[in-house]
Order: sequence, then C-alpha cells, then structure tokens
Amino acid sequence: MSSDAPVIETNGLTKQYGDVRAVDSLDLAIEAGDVYGFLGPNGAGKSTTIGLLLDYLRPTAGTVRVFGTDPQRDPVEIHNRTGVLPDRFGLYEGRSARQHVSFVTETKRVDDDPEALLDRVGLADAIDDDAGEFSKGMEQRLALAMALVGDPDLLVLDEPFTGLDPHGVRRVREIVHEENERGATVFFSSHVLGQVELVCDRVGVLHQGRLVADGTVDELRAAAGTDDDAVIEDVFVELTDARIDAGGESQ
Amino acid sequence: MQWSPLARRECRTVLTSKGAWILTALIVLWGFRPTYTGWNAIGQNITIGYIQTGVNVLLPIGVLLLTYQSLIGERTTGSIKFLIALPLKRTHIILGKTIGRFAGLAATVGVAVLLLTGIGVFEHGAFAIRPFVGVVLATVLLLAALVSLGVLLSTAVKSTVSAAGIVVGYILVTLFWNTVVSKVYTVVTEVPVNPYDAPASGPLFFALRLTPDGAYNVLTNWILGVGNSADQFRAVYTKLKPGHGVNAFVVEAAFESGTAPWYLHPALSIGILAGWIVVPLVLSRRIFNTGDVL
Repeated sequence: MSSDAPVIETNGLTKQYGDVRAVDSLDLAIEAGDVYGFLGPNGAGKSTTIGLLLDYLRPTAGTVRVFGTDPQRDPVEIHNRTGVLPDRFGLYEGRSARQHVSFVTETKRVDDDPEALLDRVGLADAIDDDAGEFSKGMEQRLALAMALVGDPDLLVLDEPFTGLDPHGVRRVREIVHEENERGATVFFSSHVLGQVELVCDRVGVLHQGRLVADGTVDELRAAAGTDDDAVIEDVFVELTDARIDAGGESQ
Repeated sequence: MQWSPLARRECRTVLTSKGAWILTALIVLWGFRPTYTGWNAIGQNITIGYIQTGVNVLLPIGVLLLTYQSLIGERTTGSIKFLIALPLKRTHIILGKTIGRFAGLAATVGVAVLLLTGIGVFEHGAFAIRPFVGVVLATVLLLAALVSLGVLLSTAVKSTVSAAGIVVGYILVTLFWNTVVSKVYTVVTEVPVNPYDAPASGPLFFALRLTPDGAYNVLTNWILGVGNSADQFRAVYTKLKPGHGVNAFVVEAAFESGTAPWYLHPALSIGILAGWIVVPLVLSRRIFNTGDVL
C-alpha cells in the first residue's frame, strides 16, 4: 500500500439479504491517522459494513480495500495490523481475561504483556477471573484489551461505549486519543452521538445502508443547515430526517 | 503455523471438558469384556479386542458430541467475531479446530486404550505387539475421521439444535446400518437379505463397510485375523465356527473361497477411513470459505 492510500476504501459496496439492502453502494475513504466516527440509527448498516471490512460477511457487489488489500484475499496481513472490538460478541466461558488476551498475543505473535493491557482498560483486578462471569461493561473492556494487542495500525471499534459506566466511557475516549497519537487510524461506529463529537476528526452518517453525509462535524452542520453551535444530535436528526423526506418524495 | 494457538486452545477445551473424560471411562467399562468367545477367538490378544469393542460404538457418539459445537457454538455465542478478526485464513480456522480437537480426543482416548491394555495384561498376560500397534493406528484413523465429520457438521449447519439433531440421526443410522443397507439392497435388487445366510453380493458387503465404524471393524478384524467383516470380532468368530449361526455379515461365510470381489479386501478399509477424513475436511473448507460466517 502506498503511504497516501486510504487505510479503508470501499467502492459501491453493497450487501443484500433477500429483499433487504443492508448496505447500499457505499463509497468510503478513511485516511491514515483519522479518527472516523461511523454514525447511524440502529439497523442503518454500520455493523454490516464493519462485517464486510473484516470479512465476517462477503459483499453482494462492490469492493473493499483495507491497507490496500482485499480482506478476502489476505486476511492475515490485514488482521495482523488491525485490532477489533466487535458488537454483540460472546466471550469464552471458563477462560480468564488473561487467557483471552494471551490467545490474541500468541496468534498475532507479539509479546505484549496481558496484565499491562488489562490494566490499561481498567481490568487489573479481574485478570484471572472467569470472563464468563463478567458484566457487560467488563466484557467490553476485555474486548478492547484484545483489540489493543500488537499496537495495531487500525482500530475498528463497533459500538465501543455499550454497557460502559461513565468512567469506562472516558477510558475508551482516552485510549482512542492515545492510540491515534501513537499513529493508529481509528474507525468506530456508534449511536452515542455526544461521544462521537468528543472523539472524532471526521464523521460519516449512514442511513438505510447509504452514506448520507461525510466530513468534519462543522461540515456536517453546514450540510444539515443547522446553527454553528448545534449539537451533533441535532445535526444527525436533521440529516437522517432529510433523507427520509427525500425517500418519501421519491416514492 | 499461525493456527497453532487455536489448535492448542481447542485441545485444552477437550482436555478440560467432563464429557471427554466420561468418554474415556465409558470406553474402558464397555470395552472390558472377558468372554470365553473372545478368548477362543484371539486368545491373549483379547486385550486388543477390548479396544475394538470399547471404541466401536462409543467413539462415534462421544466424538461427534464433543465436536459438533466447535464452530456453530462460536457462531451462536458471537465469539467467532474474535476468531475471524485474528490473522488467520478461514482454512486455518478449520485446520486449527480439527487438529486441536483431534489432539485432545487422541489424548483422552489414548488414556482409555492404556487403561484397557493395563487391565488386559493384568488379567491375561502379554499380547502380540504388531496387532496391538495396528489396532491403535486404526483407532487413530477412526478418531480422525469422526473429528473431521464433527467439524464438517459444525461448519455446515445454522444452529446448534440442527447440529445436535443430525448427530442423533447419524448415530441411529449407523447403529442400524446393517438393517438400512439390507432393506435398501432388497428394494433395489428384489433379493431378500437374511443376515443369518447373506447372499454373496459384493455391493451389499461393500455398502456394509462404508461407515467409519464399519471400515474400522473390517480393518481391526483383519489385523486380529478373525475374518473379513464389518461386525465385531466376537460375532465374526462365532459366525465362522462350524455349526453356529449368528446375524453377522462375514465375507468368508457368504462367498466361496477365492470368489470375493477385490474391493472387499480388508486393506481397502484404510482408504474408506482416509476418505472419511479428507472429504469432510475439504467440504468444511469449501463451505467455510464461501459466504458469510455470521
């Protein structure tokens, strides 16, 4: 991959389930060093898009490139450089947090210290506890620790604030900033709009499988025609409402 | 081999499961059958016969129950999202799952074989080493075939309930395989099959040895020198004993000497077992590499 090529690039990316088009002709380009927030209401297609980036799912049409590579062709190269916190995941019951992180370090062939990673996400007191007994917030922290293994060049965080208390939310934000300062590109999806504004350089708004806006928060405010000090929630509602209206008219 | 941590984890999953050790105990309890028939059939090698007896019925049930969740379980819980996000090709995941589960089960079944051997030596004294090694290797082949089948099942189905249903179906069909084959043969050829006096039909006898456990019995009976049959060694011995009638399908009892078709040679059961290893693995890879994993 050339140094100025996007870290993530999709062209006409489409995923169809029967009559439902979960992702519709999506064109995205996430540059190296970006912290990109992928916004959208529930069911907008955010997790499906992430599934297509990570090869959980295969596209119906269009192309995906991560680090300039097709995820289907070379998942090893891509996943060696990527850390993932998935949405609606399950942990391995009967295995400790340490064992979860160690499994990732062994597979990625890095010598990261599981204790240091778990301490970083606030799980220092539960390192050897059975992850099957964890609360939702603890599961989320453990998944984040697993994503951080190997200092990835790309972090993909799908709804990272789910189940977290305010301390956890702040910790995730801090880690996103730290990782970005280290040089990592961060792509995360969320419907927690306030957090997106605090964390992201750029935001894409996905609605009914289509990207309805893409840019900085200020650019999105302009696109939505809202005031300069409008909160992201108002911008989001304006953009998605406009889309619904447009869709209604076209029908 | 970036999949080796996955294989190690799968192996550990088996070794820490109660089910695997219950299987070990059951193989020992079921296999140890010091009968006069067994002794008359193979003498001190009855110790090796215990392995065939213990493994024949229980291994298919136990191994399928311990492997059918290997992938569908991860799909159901969502942990597969971590697995797919690791630097592994999908083929590596199938390999890691299969080899890891195989290694774990080989260890627990190996303990059962050692226990049966120890009990046999204590009870009956020494046995011949070459047939022992042959039967152990045949058991390894059977185990690999069943693990491969279990992983295929886990890859192909969409829910754990369907997988469990198919396991039960498979066990029932193979348990009554002789009856199933006989009925189908009768429907197709209009020749009735009496298991006490089976027709000398190559296709019929070949079909009887197509299951993994059938092929295993053929191979181990050959190694033990009791006869050419997919039934257990005691039944084969009894069938071939003058003046005895049992419902076992034995080549030497049905065919005149030297008239059995070449494809009923017991050595071909190695090929059948190899087929049960390779074909499910290839299918698993093909299915798992195609389409979505969620």
